Amino acid sequence: MTTILFIIFAGLAIGCAIAMVSQSNPLYSAISLIGVFVALASLYVTLAAPFIAAVQVIVYAGAIMVLVIFVIMLLNVEHSEPRRKRLKFLVPVAIGMAAILIAETAFILYSVQTSENKLAGNTSDVGLTHSIGAGLFTTYLLPFEITSVLLLMAIVGAMSLARRTTVLSATARVVPGAQVLAMDIVNPRAVGDLTAVETETTAEAAHLLGVDFQSDRDQEE
Amino acid sequence: MGPQLSWYLALSAILFTIGAVGVIIKRNVIAMFMCIELMLNAVNLTFVACSSFFQDVTGQLFVFIVMTVAAAEAAVGLGIIITVFRNRESLNVDDASILKL
Repeated sequence: MTTILFIIFAGLAIGCAIAMVSQSNPLYSAISLIGVFVALASLYVTLAAPFIAAVQVIVYAGAIMVLVIFVIMLLNVEHSEPRRKRLKFLVPVAIGMAAILIAETAFILYSVQTSENKLAGNTSDVGLTHSIGAGLFTTYLLPFEITSVLLLMAIVGAMSLARRTTVLSATARVVPGAQVLAMDIVNPRAVGDLTAVETETTAEAAHLLGVDFQSDRDQEE
Repeated sequence: MGPQLSWYLALSAILFTIGAVGVIIKRNVIAMFMCIELMLNAVNLTFVACSSFFQDVTGQLFVFIVMTVAAAEAAVGLGIIITVFRNRESLNVDDASILKL
């Protein structure tokens, strides 16, 4: 039984991995990669590691791949090919496969309810949440703490990468004569304060700076 | 007779090779990123298989830590990808062959 499951899920993992590499559209690659993750999670279950299997689905197939797909859709650089006609016959195939899936689920629920011989309890607790938690918080406490610091560094790094590094605020208007000054230029006491101070005209900027300013138009008059 | 440890190691080696080949032949930076994730998963499979066959929980603890590193890598890596795309308007790694902006 385990051998059959291994062959099924190993074949699924290898097939999805090859599909991922051979796809040219990154979105299809991402979906194939989710297939690999789910197949590996199933293998973890057959290896009596239910906690790792659950984390695999939640963290990898859930969090990380959602992030990747979000970035793919945000950047949206796929070649604008027209949708091909051959996708149409996939709709009845999808409906049929969904029906098979529902039937399988119903069969499993039915057979579990009516089964006489329950599975013998796993005598070893390796792979259960209890043993993983005990190991993580006693023997391997230092790696666990280092991991938390690593996650903090990742958060700070991602934020500093995503920040726009321009002095101009998003609301700065580009009109002739407009000036954007740093606060420490306007006010000598605010040293190091780089808050942007926006002015509508050159005359207003000169007034802020305390400089005597006469525009060309004034001189002509 | 169930599956042997060597089967899992062979599967892991195949997946790792596919991931490495993907990193080499792909030119889209997001696709390369996903191939790296596949290689990390192949390594995770060896950890879990050995942990299960030797009845030692240490391997699964390391899988947990590898997953955390992968999550951190995803956050920072996708941030870098977005920054590079903002500057170069391209996801092709050949367009970002010099680190200077």
